[in-house]
Amino acid sequence: MARFWANKAGVAGLAIIVVCILVAIFAPLLAPHDPLAIDISLQGMEPSEAYPFGNDEFGRDILSRVIYGARISLGISLFSVIFSLGLGVVLGAVAGFYGRGIDNAIMRVMDATMAFPAILLAIAIVAAMGSNMFNVVIALGIVYVPRFARIIRGAVISLKTREFVEAAISLGASDVAIIFRHILPNCLAPLIVQATAGFAYAILAESSLSFLGLGAPPPAPSWGNILSESKDFMLDNPMMTVYPGLAITFAVLGFNLLGDALRDILDPRLK
Amino acid sequence: MLAYFLKRTVLMVPTLLLVALMVFLLVHLIPGDPAIVMVGAEADPAAIENIRRSLGLDQPLPIQFIDWFGRLLSGDFGKSITSGIPVLETILERFPTTLVLTTLAMLFSVAIAIPSGVLAAKFRNTGKDYLFMLVSLIGVSVPGFWLGLMGLLVFSVQLGWFPSSGYVPVWQDFWQGLNYMTLPSITLGFFMAAVVARMTRSSMLEVMRLEYVTHARAKGLSEWTVLLKHALKNAFAPTLTTIGIQYGMLLGGAVVTETVFGLPGLGRFVVQSIYGRDYPAVQGCILFIALVYMFVNLAVDVLYKVFDPRVKF
Amino acid sequence: MFPVLKIDDLQTHFFTRTGIAKAIDGVGFHIDKGEIVCVVGESGCGKSMTALSVLRLVPHPGRIVGGEIWLDGQNLMAFSEREMREVRGDRVSMIFQEPMVSLNPAFTIGNQLIEAVRVHRKASRAEAWERSVEMLRRVDLPSPEARMNAYPHELSGGMRQRVMIAEALLLDPVLLLADEPTTALDVTVQAQVLDVMVRAARESGTAVMMITHNLAVVSEIADRVVVMYAGRVVEQGTTEEIFTRPAHPYTQGLLRAIPTLSTAAEDDAPRQPLYEMGGLVPSLTDLPPGCAFCPRCSAAIDLCAAQKPPAFPLGETHAAACWLRRTEG
Repeated sequence: MARFWANKAGVAGLAIIVVCILVAIFAPLLAPHDPLAIDISLQGMEPSEAYPFGNDEFGRDILSRVIYGARISLGISLFSVIFSLGLGVVLGAVAGFYGRGIDNAIMRVMDATMAFPAILLAIAIVAAMGSNMFNVVIALGIVYVPRFARIIRGAVISLKTREFVEAAISLGASDVAIIFRHILPNCLAPLIVQATAGFAYAILAESSLSFLGLGAPPPAPSWGNILSESKDFMLDNPMMTVYPGLAITFAVLGFNLLGDALRDILDPRLK
Repeated sequence: MLAYFLKRTVLMVPTLLLVALMVFLLVHLIPGDPAIVMVGAEADPAAIENIRRSLGLDQPLPIQFIDWFGRLLSGDFGKSITSGIPVLETILERFPTTLVLTTLAMLFSVAIAIPSGVLAAKFRNTGKDYLFMLVSLIGVSVPGFWLGLMGLLVFSVQLGWFPSSGYVPVWQDFWQGLNYMTLPSITLGFFMAAVVARMTRSSMLEVMRLEYVTHARAKGLSEWTVLLKHALKNAFAPTLTTIGIQYGMLLGGAVVTETVFGLPGLGRFVVQSIYGRDYPAVQGCILFIALVYMFVNLAVDVLYKVFDPRVKF
Repeated sequence: MFPVLKIDDLQTHFFTRTGIAKAIDGVGFHIDKGEIVCVVGESGCGKSMTALSVLRLVPHPGRIVGGEIWLDGQNLMAFSEREMREVRGDRVSMIFQEPMVSLNPAFTIGNQLIEAVRVHRKASRAEAWERSVEMLRRVDLPSPEARMNAYPHELSGGMRQRVMIAEALLLDPVLLLADEPTTALDVTVQAQVLDVMVRAARESGTAVMMITHNLAVVSEIADRVVVMYAGRVVEQGTTEEIFTRPAHPYTQGLLRAIPTLSTAAEDDAPRQPLYEMGGLVPSLTDLPPGCAFCPRCSAAIDLCAAQKPPAFPLGETHAAACWLRRTEG
């Protein structure tokens, strides 16, 4: 822990993430206007005192939309990481514990999932299932399932034969108990590093999906949506495109900084 | 090497089958009746029935898959619902643009990533290295398509260096075509450049600790020979794997980049097909791109041996 | 006549986050032309760093902070990096401990040998090839032509170390630094490889600084011995002097710990492994103010803990840095 606080980049990353989370939580207090309030008279206005980032095609306040965007972008990425972590842990543990045919089948499917370019798979899933928040979360999460599954499977296989796990098995502990008590604590480090990377990926991928009109359905102010809506007004009001992009970069940078620092600390082999 | 290539191709078959199955099942993820979704609920019931029959949706699922897969093997990727043109035909017409875009992006990123990664490793823990780390970290944090938009704004609109619309394929007019491709491939390749540069730096650092690097210095070689010959060749093997994996990111990113720049590539076609609910076309494209990606990684694995002779075929 | 190598009050320190580690803290000895000098001591005593210091290849965060290194009467500390490169591999070459990792896995043996020739000599590829094959033959590597096209991983450890020896002696250097060249090898091939190295070095008149902790080897090959402890030279002398009249308690302890030699073990005390000499090597970041061996020394007097002992001469070639020997000088 002390080593983390000594890592300036990691602390900076954590600070960025905390800022983003605070903005998301206190969006209603921070946003000067309702992010969804349409005012045709303000259509495409240049930045002004009341509307520092300007207004979009519906006259909505872009600053407020960017602030609320933190909620949507962080929320979607949080749930997609939870989803892929959950499914990855279950699949990896099942594959590792039962071995043979089951292991083979699960890991083959994981390989096949990895054979698709990540974004493309997400695009395909949303294209088929339709774009609502839930489907976007699933589509973004699926891509990271194999990574978590591999970590857990590896840990299960290497720990299964260790004495303390064997003892637990012989004492009749349930598989679930063994996973939570013995396996997970032993592969927490790579899971955390991978999860941080998952956050960064999910924020970026969500913005791509939204930009293509396949992310959080409008009028939800996800950062990708704001970018998507802004592209037709880019020439008149370039700043409208700049701010949401900066917001995305800022948030992703936070997770990448944190991820790098955690990897350096938790895996001293790399430096 | 050929034997290894063939062996790996055979080993790829199960994964390939699964990939095909997943693409096939995609249509069945569509909530409700896929036929109605594709042509719209207000359409003529006869047209819906027609679609249903032509896609074989009235058959049991396993039969549908066997049929579909059998046709795939004979090169039949199905027909577009909207245009009626065979999907493979459109794919082959569109793919060259995507191939040029992604290849240029890859060349660009490798060309700046490897030198900068090597330099960062050489100057590790100095100001130059920290600057490199910062820029590369920003590189992996910026959405590529946004960078594309910014590039359009600055270099096309403001400075007028590159065209902001239109398209000429490189195979028609090379320099003109290149002019249209420069901004898209740089913005697409930026992310990959950062990833590959970081990988190059860290594997260089890993290698530079090893005794054979000290040995190379003890021979009286110049520092550059030590770095560029002895360290880089060893550090390049893991970097190569990263390049292979990142090529998939390029293929995925091309979907968005082509949309931003209005390039008539395969990625743009995917998006258009999604908007048009043309699922056979979406399936065909996604399967095709996944295949390309798998073969790129296969080629990378074979190439790996060149840089690491210890790998056994 | 200058000695081939003369090291004077060498200080190489490592600037780590936890403090300054004095890996070498005032080392001085010399090697005459064609002589084989063994540097012995426990791991971490600075033997390897001494060799790397001679080549001025101390790894980061280490740095030579003081002292002089003379090669054939030239002060290497005054050399530019470019001049040092001309020294390395040509006049002074080095053999590393682990042949598994000291040859570059990505290049063939031939490539690495030819490179070693051509970096210092104007030779065509064919000439360099010839010279390399001949040298491989001299170190008794079977079918040297075929080995030239082999990658290191295709050779056994013993063969690789022969390749290293061949490369090191390729240009007839005046000094060979051999850092535990046989430690990593199977016991059965250790003697052969050592034999090949000594013979080849003698043939080309190359002086050898051999780093080892194996005293049996020392007694066989060394002309003179330098004993190091915690970054300092505690005793040096001819092989005979060191083995028959060890003056420093540390040297005496070392000799007691070898099972094959009983010269120093007059009593019937059970032979103990080295680490049971009592206590541990002191941390290099926190060396005691006096003699570094003092905390482990059973003969220590008050002065030992307070003041660093200088080297007291015990004869023309023999000296020990121990307060107990003060009167004898």
